Order: sequence, then structure tokens, then C-alpha cells
Amino acid sequence: MTRAVRDDLAAAHRRSLVHVAAPGARFTAARRVQIAEVAIAAFLDPEPTPPWVRPHGDLALDVAHRLARHAGTINLEWYEQIVTEGLHPLDWVEVVGIVVSAVPPVAFARAIGAPPPGLPAPQPGDPTGHEAAELAPARLNFVPVAAPADRMPSVVQALSALPDEWDNLWQLAEAQYMSDRAMDDPLWNRGTLSRPQMELVAGRLSLIRECFF
Amino acid sequence: MLSWSSQQDGTPADLDALASGDGDAGLPHGALLMAFAEAAAGVDDAALAEAREALVDATSEAFMIDAAAVVANFEMMTRVADGTGALHAAEREANATALATRLGMVERP
Repeated sequence: MTRAVRDDLAAAHRRSLVHVAAPGARFTAARRVQIAEVAIAAFLDPEPTPPWVRPHGDLALDVAHRLARHAGTINLEWYEQIVTEGLHPLDWVEVVGIVVSAVPPVAFARAIGAPPPGLPAPQPGDPTGHEAAELAPARLNFVPVAAPADRMPSVVQALSALPDEWDNLWQLAEAQYMSDRAMDDPLWNRGTLSRPQMELVAGRLSLIRECFF
Repeated sequence: MLSWSSQQDGTPADLDALASGDGDAGLPHGALLMAFAEAAAGVDDAALAEAREALVDATSEAFMIDAAAVVANFEMMTRVADGTGALHAAEREANATALATRLGMVERP
């Protein structure tokens, strides 16, 4: 059955998948697509491995796997372990950016009963090196962020070290949830769910995912 | 956000129902929405199909699609928070911890 998805939402999901298949700040497009494929497979796996298993023997792929399937088990200790083993902190940020670009269109398709969207073919080219002009350690996140740190909420500054990942995150959020401007209006809605109904879905999903934040 | 928006909306939500998944949390179609969110977060495709169709039957396809979009958004935001070690600012930490405890979440991983 074909569902009538809002044009803005369908376009946001298409942009996100194209973003995955483009060169990133630190990874080629082919590597980004590989990371996204691991994340999607982990997200959809009906019988996932336990959180502590690292099934790929590859730091970036194992981070993508755990984030896609067992995100609530990730902590500072594991982050530091992975960085100590050789994954650069900005590589970690890019992996997070890829996972949160690839998983939402798949989660949405599954929720509405549509087939999962495919990933575009990787685009050619070298990593862009596009990072924030100045980075800073953060108190509110364990990853580095754009300087100055901790002037905005932690989820807002989370991907700010890599502006292209940050931009994609917020274009998705605007289509899936609401714009920054609408956040302050408790009565804002699209004519379907009321704001409290949206927050009920958000709250229940976040609770099931054991997201302390 | 649920507590604030539902107070402003005039339909104060029941946070205990949010924690347990029982009842409708005091909101129209609340039980169907929570069942849909739970099924979307699970791995049982048949249960998800059932929850989806129940929601469409009670509301509309557009309503279900916007609920699915919120699901997708929080599949994203929970991973942003968990994947970057996001913490609340000091002035919000006490309230956030109290809410997490009320919802049955007692400690960070």
C-alpha cells in the first residue's frame, strides 16, 4: 500500500540519504555508505547481538552498530576506550552523524508499513575536511563541539563540530517534528497530532530506548 | 515537554501512564499512540501492523504518518543524545533526574 507522505517529509528523508552518500568531513562517501549499511542492518535486526559484542572488528563500524541498536548502553567509558584504540573523536562524531541520517528514513518507512528506502550510490571525491572553525571540549557532551562550548543545550551542540552533519540533523528534525521557532509554542501542530500527543509519542519512544536525556 | 505542553493545551497528561504504557495518559488517542510508539520500537512486524491500522482507523492516515514522523525523530534524537554523551545543563539537572526517576530510569549507563 502506498502512503501519502507529506512532500516536505519525503524530501527531507531523500536529502538525508543523499547526504549519507556524499563525501563527509573525514570519510569518503563509500565509507559513509558502508557505515550506514551497518547501522541500518543493526537497527532492523530481529535478533541483535548483545551490546558488548563488537561484530565488525572495525572501530567505526562497531560504533555504528552499537549506536543503531543499543544506543542507551553507550557511555563515556566506552567512548574513551574506542578513542584510545584509535578512532579520532571527530570520526566518532561523523559516525553519529551518519547513523542519525540513515536510521530515521528507515524507521519512518517501517512505522508506516513501507519498504525501507535504499541508499544512493556513493559519490566520488575525497573527504571535505569541513569542520567547525574552532573546536572545544564540552562539559555537556563527551565529544568535542564548535567553540564556544556549552552555550547551547547539549543536543543542539552535539554535532556542531561537523557543520554538514549538524545541518542535516536539523533539516530532518524540522520535517519530522517541528522547527526551532515552533518549539516555544505549546499549541503548535500540523493539524493532525496536538503538541501533547507529539510529546507523548516522543516520551514513550525515548523511554523504551532508555534514553536518560 | 509533555508536561508543559499538555498543561498549556488544557489536557494535563498523566506522566505515570507514560511510564507504564497503560491507559491513555489523559490525551485523545493516547493509548493508541503509545501502542504505536512501542510497536515501532519493537521487532514484531505483525504487532506494528496491528497498531498502525488501529491508529489509522481511529484517526486518519495523515495522523498516523505524523505520528510515525515523530517516532523517526526520536529514533534520531535519542541516538544523538546517547552517542554524544549529552547532559542537561546544571540548572535543569535536578528536574531532569527527578523526572527520570519518576519514569523508572534510575541511572545513566
